Amino acid sequence: MSKFLVSRRTLLGASAALLASTALPRLAFGQDAVKGGRLIVAADSEPRNLNPAIVASNGVFFISSKVIEPLAEASFDGENGLAPRLATAWEGSADGLSATFTLREGVTWHDGKPFTSEDVAFSALQVWKPLQNLGRLVFANLESVDTPDPLTAIFRFSKPTPFQLIRYALPATTSVLPRHLYDGTDIAENPANAKLVGTGPFKFTEYKPGEYYLLSCNETYWGEGEPNLDEILYRVLPDRAAAASALEAEEIQLAAFSAVPLADLDRIGKVEGIEVISKGYEGLTYQLAVEINHRTEQLANLKVRQAIAHAIDKKFVVDNIFLGYAKAATGIVPQNAPEFYDASTPQYAFDVDKANALLDEAGYARGADGNRFTLRLLPAPYFNETTQFGAYLRQALAAVGIDAQIANNDSAAHQQAVYTDHAFDIAVAPPVFRGDPAISTTILVRTATAEGVPFSNQGGYSNPAIDKLIDDALVTVDDKARTALYNQFQQAVAEDLPLINVAEWGFITVARTSVHNVSNNPRWAVSNWADTWIDG
Amino acid sequence: MSLVARFTRSPEGLFGAAVLAALIVIALGAPFLFPRDPLSIVGPPLTAPFTDWALPLGTDRLGRNVLAELVHGSRASLLVGFAATLAAIIIGASVGTIAGFAGGLVDEALMRVVDAFQTVPGFLLALAFVSVIGASLPVVVLAIALSAWTGPARLARAEVLSLRERDYVAAARVIGMHPAEIAFRQILPNALAPVLALSAVIVAGAILTEAALSFLGLGDPNIVTWGSMIAEGRAVLRSSPFLSIIPGIALVVTVLGVYLFGEGLSEALSRRAVRS
Repeated sequence: MSKFLVSRRTLLGASAALLASTALPRLAFGQDAVKGGRLIVAADSEPRNLNPAIVASNGVFFISSKVIEPLAEASFDGENGLAPRLATAWEGSADGLSATFTLREGVTWHDGKPFTSEDVAFSALQVWKPLQNLGRLVFANLESVDTPDPLTAIFRFSKPTPFQLIRYALPATTSVLPRHLYDGTDIAENPANAKLVGTGPFKFTEYKPGEYYLLSCNETYWGEGEPNLDEILYRVLPDRAAAASALEAEEIQLAAFSAVPLADLDRIGKVEGIEVISKGYEGLTYQLAVEINHRTEQLANLKVRQAIAHAIDKKFVVDNIFLGYAKAATGIVPQNAPEFYDASTPQYAFDVDKANALLDEAGYARGADGNRFTLRLLPAPYFNETTQFGAYLRQALAAVGIDAQIANNDSAAHQQAVYTDHAFDIAVAPPVFRGDPAISTTILVRTATAEGVPFSNQGGYSNPAIDKLIDDALVTVDDKARTALYNQFQQAVAEDLPLINVAEWGFITVARTSVHNVSNNPRWAVSNWADTWIDG
Repeated sequence: MSLVARFTRSPEGLFGAAVLAALIVIALGAPFLFPRDPLSIVGPPLTAPFTDWALPLGTDRLGRNVLAELVHGSRASLLVGFAATLAAIIIGASVGTIAGFAGGLVDEALMRVVDAFQTVPGFLLALAFVSVIGASLPVVVLAIALSAWTGPARLARAEVLSLRERDYVAAARVIGMHPAEIAFRQILPNALAPVLALSAVIVAGAILTEAALSFLGLGDPNIVTWGSMIAEGRAVLRSSPFLSIIPGIALVVTVLGVYLFGEGLSEALSRRAVRS
């Protein structure tokens, strides 16, 4: 399962060098966990709705995954890359019309009520399917959930639903909510969305807006001897530069999701007692993509889209914007999804002359000022890297005679402009690949069914051939046949360029060496941290 | 003694004038010195200053020429500074003159509007204005003018209040001049001198506000400004501090130059007032 941007070998080399360079080499294994203590981590955003069953996004999971658990979590060495959480076993039927989950015994909610299959049935039918951003797609054909006994939940689908997809979706989409607190209420407005009640190793204790979130140990957690920590405190540090100095001053012990700017990693990695870890994000690959508004006359022309693809120097982007902590993309499915990845898709090498020739062929000659036409460019404001790539893209397009005018917006205004008003020509977006293309990737190119859905195809692109591949794969139960369909899908996308994938990256965790069991699963930052411990 | 002669007697005023003149020459000459788009990528990223003579001040994170950015950045700073001040003085002086000359209810109403604007911190007002309307150079100019016009308005009103009782105003009334003509052709030119002395402070403030807005990402992203350069360098502050320090120095020198020029100007004007 070698699947990351920084290869295992480099990583091992780097960590070996790091171990050698620190005065007190610590042994990652074979050391007994110390109980107790408070782990202080940096939080760079304060989500208003913390309910992971409704808002399946990493910003929410970062905090809520310690309180509310999914049926299964991603794992480096578990079967099919999964480790059991609230479910201990799962099986899909051969016809793809049902999936059976055996649930864990002896689990109680933080308020003392027992956890049963009723909670799973309620969450699936009332929350994941109708309300959750990702669940809407994955559980689109979910019809009912049978609960023959308190520890068995049988999902029944109206159309064949590949169990491969359900498996990949388990960690992100199946956060189970307590039915007794949500049933009969307005789920989206329930007060428990802010003050979470779950089954996880930590209980939600306190939130002070602008200051911190405090989670404390769940004494009755089902995991034996877990959790190790007494408390987790999320200190709200929206300023990225602040995270690095807070780590150095030992005010915080861990900063995940690249809270420390990439440009600072080299320096901070040399500070004694601090380590830079690029593992632990394999299940959350971010993709840097150029979204295209196909309603714009020039961009509806395939030659223009090809020219834009040829104008982008992916190596420059990886080396200078991501400082090497990324990989050049080859298509819509990232390389660290080996089950689906197709390496033979057509590639667009960096070639300014070819881009210019394509634009000439398309009939857009340069005007007197050297420009062929003007486009509105909207870089997503979520990451430093997306805005910086916006600045780079403007220059790359200027080299081929396209004048891209940048407009910077805040998150809300950006989403409004791109996904609701469609007031853009090209946009820079960081979509996430979540293990299976059907979860959050195919929606980027499938003909839009609803207006205004963020992170979906709002560029007016519609290609019946691609739609058919997506729809077929969604009901193909056989793994091989499904993979074959997704390979065709990748080919078709690379040929027709509904969007242009530029790079793929995972995040970086920077932690003090006193924190142990960091990054030991592919979704570590958004997993439950039950086994994490700190030196006393 | 003429105003110019009085001005030349103030050394700080002369220094300010020299700095300002140099900046104006640089700003006007920018397209000839660096004809390419200053944001174009010309060299290896993060080249340190004074290591490559083709790129004397080094390059930023994307490999853009810092010197070219700096020179082109002066255009935005000066343009916004002067344009915003001009707008603020025109709005402020007009409102102040009308209020002072008309008096009564009009005066009350206009001055309450001025009060309302003065209770909101100027920078916040500009911030709100730009984030609602969207960032572009004219909007930034207007936003800054909007937060700076109240000073000139109050000053102009006070001047007008004392001038409107003068004999020549009464004479103008007697010969049947239209009130608007009296206000703007007879009174305003005489009330303008102290307002103009205020302009240097407004220019300096406007340059800083513009830099702060673009530092926060609310400037026009398609042109280079000193504020956006500082913001851009902030990400690598620990490893390449020069990216923030160089535009920072440029900003300090400019604001200092404008301020000293303003000091010299108001000194020269007040000397005249004392002697007359």
